[in-house]
Amino acid sequence: MQLPVLNDTPSHAEHGAKGGCAASSCGTTENQMDTLPDSIREKVQNHPCYSEDAHHYFARMHVAVAPACNIQCHYCNRKYDCANESRPGVVSELLTPDQAVKKTMAVAANIPQMTVLGIAGPGDPLANPERTFETFRRLSQEAPDIKLCVSTNGLALPDAVEELSKHNIDHVTITINCVDPEVGAKIYPWIFWKNKRIKGIKGAKILIEQQQKGLEMLIAKGILVKVNSVMIPGVNDQHLAEVSKVVKSKGAFLHNVMPLIAEAEHGTFYGVMGQRGPTPDELQDLQDSCSGDMNMMRHCRQCRADAVGMLGEDRGDEFTLDKIEDMEIDYSAAMEKRKVIHQAIQAEMDSKRLEKAEKARQHKQEPKLNTRPVLMAVATSGQGVINMHFGHAKEFLIYEASPDGVRFISHRKADQYCGGDSTCGDGETTLQITIRALAGCEAVLCSKVGYEPWEQLEAAGIAPNGEHAMEPIEEAVLAVYKEMAAAGKLDVIPEAIRASAS
Amino acid sequence: MAVKIIESCVNCFACEPVCPSNAIYEAKPHFLVDAKKCTECEGDFPVFQCASICPIEGAILDSFGLAINPPGSLTGIPPEKMAEAMAELQSH
Repeated sequence: MQLPVLNDTPSHAEHGAKGGCAASSCGTTENQMDTLPDSIREKVQNHPCYSEDAHHYFARMHVAVAPACNIQCHYCNRKYDCANESRPGVVSELLTPDQAVKKTMAVAANIPQMTVLGIAGPGDPLANPERTFETFRRLSQEAPDIKLCVSTNGLALPDAVEELSKHNIDHVTITINCVDPEVGAKIYPWIFWKNKRIKGIKGAKILIEQQQKGLEMLIAKGILVKVNSVMIPGVNDQHLAEVSKVVKSKGAFLHNVMPLIAEAEHGTFYGVMGQRGPTPDELQDLQDSCSGDMNMMRHCRQCRADAVGMLGEDRGDEFTLDKIEDMEIDYSAAMEKRKVIHQAIQAEMDSKRLEKAEKARQHKQEPKLNTRPVLMAVATSGQGVINMHFGHAKEFLIYEASPDGVRFISHRKADQYCGGDSTCGDGETTLQITIRALAGCEAVLCSKVGYEPWEQLEAAGIAPNGEHAMEPIEEAVLAVYKEMAAAGKLDVIPEAIRASAS
Repeated sequence: MAVKIIESCVNCFACEPVCPSNAIYEAKPHFLVDAKKCTECEGDFPVFQCASICPIEGAILDSFGLAINPPGSLTGIPPEKMAEAMAELQSH
């Protein structure tokens, strides 16, 4: 079944039939980074938010120093800071630049694989220039081994480019949801601009102009730009392929299309008005349709403005203000240790990359299968291997196996934002929620699966598989795919599967 | 003549730097306006600067005690719709 909103784009069944896919991450040989110039790869190889490969090994953190915002987005509500919620714009403690520097160094010393410090809110970093730049200025001096990056709505970006380039910030993310003011007016109710609140199309037009101007200025300075877009069905979903083309033509190197998060309890316009987010299929179709033009990011976890740790985990609780107060950090000693650990991780990544390339070369020499693509879920805690127990996984990585190879598609959360099925919801068990989250997958690979989930997974048509523990993800997925092919499970016409999954 | 910030303020700092009279200051549990300093932006801007950037409906009152940004004016959420959603949540 073709989804009506995306009828000009190839479905993934067609990808398989054509024997190739436009995505740069397609196939076991190539990953997202392989098609980039060396100069860019060098810059992003240890940045978990910019490199799919790196996110299995390196961690990041955000410091919440930027509370003010200069625009309103319909998916954001500045009122709430629930500790159990994980979405952008949410934080527990606002930090001063001084506290942020201290926290960053404490995390860097205790989580040496933390390579990146970002400022992403909870408002807009560039609407808080003094707090943001004070933090960057001090960190670039006191913790020179940490990469600095910033995420912005773009309104104040043109005025900030000069200052950003001074602080050695070579990664900037701009959230661009549209290039058409009429679409923009449905996403941004107002902006604050030149001492006035400007509503509707007029405000959206100014925001779009500033975003595009800022993007061009950053590229001219040689700063890497990632573009984030929130996919809002019925609002900008059909428009984002155009956004992708435009930002690529201006030099952005990565496009991250994220699903809208909208629940009534968040109190956002979209949440209260019942605007739905995209289904995983819709998101994937849009990412695939953009991928012909653009390098797509698919591993974003839409993390909080105070997140700490590997993507998908949050260790913020270990580094609250009162806890870091008591920590004595010798940063020069920490930096030595970090250097050694980073080198070891890099060596491991490099050897795995070579191994992967070799396996892929072998795979290419084998006779090509004529089977349909399959989605599989993987439980991992990092290092690019299957190393997590089914029941412990808070999220699953979704891979697509096809005759062309294996490619990473997305992640899916196994637990709900507010965590407790006893206090909210309709009494669905965590297991049932997890199984529902895996809809469309035909196998789940993990280090172990218990007896109860095993039966329920099988009943849901998802084959549990614990036979590939500690094996590299892509290899294991490919092995399972081949077993399925050999067992004659992949001869069904793809349309039927697609229709039943969506 | 002065505006007033009330308890629905979320301490986002946005208003503080845009005040032409430096009348707004950080305080607990929320930001406050020094009524002696506040000019209601007269002579500087045709509109209240603090209330033009404030994201929270009802958080800033004019000198008559009325919300400069009444419910629904900033988020676009009709107040009855918001009330409905909140009632729905509380019933769970």
